[in-house]
Amino acid sequence: MKKLLLASALMATTGTQVVHAEDVKIGVFLGFTGAIESIVADMGPAAELAIKEVSDSGALLGGSSVTGVRGDTTCTDSAAATAAAERLITSDKVSALVGGDCSGVTTAALQNVAMPNGIVMVSPSATSPALSTIEDNGLFFRTAPSDARQGVIVSDILNEKGVKNIAMTYTNNDYGKGLAEAIEKNFTESGGTVTINSAHEDGKGDYSAEVGALAAAGGEVLVVAGYIDQGGKGIIQAALDTGAFDTFYLPDGMVGDALPEAIGPDLNGSYGANPGTDSPGAAKFAEMATAAGFKAGPFAAESYDAAALIMLAMQAAGSSDSAKLKDKVMDVANAPGEKIFPGELAKALKIIADGGDVDYVGASAVELIGAGESAGNYRQVAIDGGKVSTVGYR
Amino acid sequence: MKLNQLNNATRATLAFSAMAGALILVGVGQSWALSLTILNLCLISSVMALGVNIQWGYAGLFNIGIMGFAALGGAAAMLVSTPPVGNAWAAGSWNILFSALCFVGTIVAAWQVHKKLKNSRFQTIVMIAVLVTGYMLTRSFFDPAVDAVEATDSAKTGFLGGLGLPIILSWPVGGVLAAGAAWIIGKVALGLRSDYLAIATLGISEIVVAILKNEDWLTRGVKNVNGLSRPVPYELDLHHSEWFISLVEKFRASDLAGLEGLAREAVLKEAITESAGVFVKLCYAGLFTAVLVIILTLCVLALNSPWGRMMRAIRDNETAAEAMGKDVTGRHLQIFILGSAVCGIAGAMLTTLDGQLTPTSYIPLRFTFLIWVMVIVGGSGNNLGSILGGFLIWFVWIEAEPAGVWLMNTLTAWLPEGNSVKNHLVQSAQHMRLVVMGLVLLLVMRFTPGGIIPETSK
Amino acid sequence: MPEMTEILNALVVFTNFVLIPGLAYGSQLALGALGVTLVYGILRFSNFAHGDVMAFGTMVTILVTWWLQSLGVSFGPLPTALLALPLGIAGTVLLCLVTDKFVYRYYRAKKSPPVTLVMASLGVMFVVNGLVRFIIGTDDQRFFDGERFIMKARDFKTLTGLNEGLAIKSSQGITVVIAVILVALLFWFLQKTRAGKSMRAYSDNEDLSLLSGIDPDKVVRITWIIAAALTTIAGVLYGLDKSFKPFTYFQLLLPIFAAAIVGGIGQPIGAIVGGYVIAFSEVLITYPYKKVVTYLVPESWAPEGLLQLLGTEYKFAVSFMILVIVLLVRPTGIFKGKVL
Repeated sequence: MKKLLLASALMATTGTQVVHAEDVKIGVFLGFTGAIESIVADMGPAAELAIKEVSDSGALLGGSSVTGVRGDTTCTDSAAATAAAERLITSDKVSALVGGDCSGVTTAALQNVAMPNGIVMVSPSATSPALSTIEDNGLFFRTAPSDARQGVIVSDILNEKGVKNIAMTYTNNDYGKGLAEAIEKNFTESGGTVTINSAHEDGKGDYSAEVGALAAAGGEVLVVAGYIDQGGKGIIQAALDTGAFDTFYLPDGMVGDALPEAIGPDLNGSYGANPGTDSPGAAKFAEMATAAGFKAGPFAAESYDAAALIMLAMQAAGSSDSAKLKDKVMDVANAPGEKIFPGELAKALKIIADGGDVDYVGASAVELIGAGESAGNYRQVAIDGGKVSTVGYR
Repeated sequence: MKLNQLNNATRATLAFSAMAGALILVGVGQSWALSLTILNLCLISSVMALGVNIQWGYAGLFNIGIMGFAALGGAAAMLVSTPPVGNAWAAGSWNILFSALCFVGTIVAAWQVHKKLKNSRFQTIVMIAVLVTGYMLTRSFFDPAVDAVEATDSAKTGFLGGLGLPIILSWPVGGVLAAGAAWIIGKVALGLRSDYLAIATLGISEIVVAILKNEDWLTRGVKNVNGLSRPVPYELDLHHSEWFISLVEKFRASDLAGLEGLAREAVLKEAITESAGVFVKLCYAGLFTAVLVIILTLCVLALNSPWGRMMRAIRDNETAAEAMGKDVTGRHLQIFILGSAVCGIAGAMLTTLDGQLTPTSYIPLRFTFLIWVMVIVGGSGNNLGSILGGFLIWFVWIEAEPAGVWLMNTLTAWLPEGNSVKNHLVQSAQHMRLVVMGLVLLLVMRFTPGGIIPETSK
Repeated sequence: MPEMTEILNALVVFTNFVLIPGLAYGSQLALGALGVTLVYGILRFSNFAHGDVMAFGTMVTILVTWWLQSLGVSFGPLPTALLALPLGIAGTVLLCLVTDKFVYRYYRAKKSPPVTLVMASLGVMFVVNGLVRFIIGTDDQRFFDGERFIMKARDFKTLTGLNEGLAIKSSQGITVVIAVILVALLFWFLQKTRAGKSMRAYSDNEDLSLLSGIDPDKVVRITWIIAAALTTIAGVLYGLDKSFKPFTYFQLLLPIFAAAIVGGIGQPIGAIVGGYVIAFSEVLITYPYKKVVTYLVPESWAPEGLLQLLGTEYKFAVSFMILVIVLLVRPTGIFKGKVL
């Protein structure tokens, strides 16, 4: 009855004919140009892969089709990002946004556009702890864990390995800086020493000065809080080439098979952790990514999951309206319910339609806590024989 | 002469009408909220372009450090509006005060050495000694202060905060801050010629941004400062305001007519959400327009005054002007400060609109090169021209993205689904923005060399 | 007095982390700055499209390299990209000549002020920027193959018995060798050949050189060809040493400009010196001297702090501080560049 009323209301405003199966649009709001364009080159297609999977299944909201509409956040320019979000929401009339990517533009778009219009945003990569407490009217979620949680994990792993002093470098943005601060705080409190905590800029290519400084400060392990295909990789390469460090700790932005592939056998013996649980999700997603012609790069799994969560929440709410689906995001993401992995979205939609409950695990082991952010279950990894191999979970 | 002027007036009318038409088209075709968002940024861009035009168009100063002045304006917005962080002040204020004293002391001492020991052989040695000691002393107070401040709840604050004043005050403050920086830069660099001045300003702007990015105790650095206060109402407050709801009911009476109960509520709710967004943007647009009009009026008055004639005389023939006893360097400094102040105001306005200070967003492509494109395409030396440039280029910058996607989809429509060339082109459609921007610049320069509204010779 | 091995260790640390990387980076900047300076000297404008032309040339070279690799061609211990380089240069020359024909020539003929040309180059920059991303995408591309090291840090340690290692990458060796050869060739060309002499004459005094029968179109053409070659080589060497990414190459524009200006724009020798000044100032000012000093002073004097003048986060700003200081002391750069 309510739906019917809404439909007639919609008809009155727009004057268009309404059918039950709608044409749902989801904004893919990521930095396609600018500082992290190379990472987004995989994140965008990942989100679109989930959208296509659902659309092709015909199982969403009585056979609705779903399309992704891209909007460019540029990663850095809040003004351009706000305009892009405005276009997605008020002109393309998207139901929800996958994005943004960098914490700065994400906050700007959330506060200036998404909140006033009551649109749900699920960010795959904004990790700033400030976003945990931001006022969001229950509209903001993220499939990436906050930096604060990862700081504890890193410190624990280093302590277990018996590491007493570390050198640390971070990518000079809110992700890197926030993470580095969290790591330094936890590691120092547990009795370790951070010999140097210095920034590196992405997209600069030459990192000899940074590596020189890190080497001079010294340390048993170099913690590289950066991105796998940006400065982080450059630092590791240069540190190995000059013989400055042999062992590296790799936080979430650095874990991926692309790294040992690029660096070679010298990386063996390094270790790290990224979000994950004892589930086949990540491997499954990597296969799907390869088949779809993109890489399972950093935050690609989170992007797929962000899009999937939105659509499952729609199904659970029985509506593509953000005001309704926002209350269902936590339900579909968490237990109880049947575990859902990448490629099983059609199955999940069917379970929900039949009145069942799902627990979306996805590619990055989604578990939402608090104000709707990833709980941060971590998969501890080691680089061994040129591959990232799982050591355990925490 | 007259014909030329008339021609120009017609051009301006035509160009601005076309621009208005384009914005209306966006309003009708896409959405009014989007159209107003673009308009607001167009207004800010225009102010910025006006600032550059003052320097380039009036005096021929080639400043490619716009980014730095805009960033200072942005910092002003944050420093004026955020409330002070009490704990951080408690933790570090004394040491910061001492380090500031040491810093000033060092500068004064160095100046004295420079003056008193001018002809002495020891000047260099004493100078170095003074500077090194001063540096060490300053750092000895500064480093612990910074550590203490940055350690106070670093995930949420970790900086000193600001003054907690209404953010609109930051617009003039941003202007003053930028003017102050321009005074220093001008003193240092205005002796340099053309490209050297350009690269010096570029370098200094990079230094300014590096400081904003890395001095966390002051600006929170790359962690950004979110949620700056607004000079206009919040949309969410409007949603619950009686007066606003009744206003919307009045304006949208035709949509609501004949609807009852839930249906009416649904339509009203959507109308309120939509109108609140539009209303807030209109408030901003009003404020920005006021600033633009004030600055434009001052510019026009200045340009037509004896001072303005002198400036143009200096620009057109420096040697002659100097021979006639005009203080060329002094005038240049004046105009450099004025133009930079305008850029600073625009920077503060932009940060106000964004509601946050994001130091990483200051990149030359967006804040220097794009502004130059505005000035050149609009018409350098002509105030209306640079305003038009600000409008047009920002409009293209935003709309090139959806247009690029549409273009690529259309161009590759004949290719089968899943074709790799098609995929590749559609995936990279966002980069059309850059290509379009380049083509607009090249074509305008080629076919209307003075810009769309060129300078009128008087 | 520290022992001999201590001094050697300090020396090796310094060489490994400051000297060798600085030398390689400086050579890459110098080659890039040479291109900027030549265009400035002859065509009289600062070419803002330089970074993106560099990306274009490197992109063509990478595409050819991939093609060669797919054919199974290799260059022994040297990277295959060096074989692909001539085609990369050809592609860049073509791009430069086409932009000159359609963009710059018009303004040259009109005798437009230099800033107009600068703005035109800004337009070219935007277009090439988009073009490169359209063709090769935004990703990081590694195209280095062959032997990676001339000397490995670990081998050096076992060889000498010192505490500290010294590593020399092949890409660094190749960079420095090629830079030296190119600079020598360029100076020989400018000093000894007819075409080079006419370029210098044109740069010194355009009107006079035209009177003496120099064909300006030919001079401009040669300039573009040389600049394109230098740019492509600089880009490829940089990409071999680090990696190729369009965004990085766009960013390279600023240090390259800084190098050209510090040295004195329009002066080839200035570009070379400027390249090294910028590269070394970045490393020297942000390098913590703790380790070096610890080796040199008695144990009890060993410093606790890092002895770092400025944090590496200011690395990029450092090159500009040096630039501003140099300009204050010598307003037209170290080697007295052109004044308009």
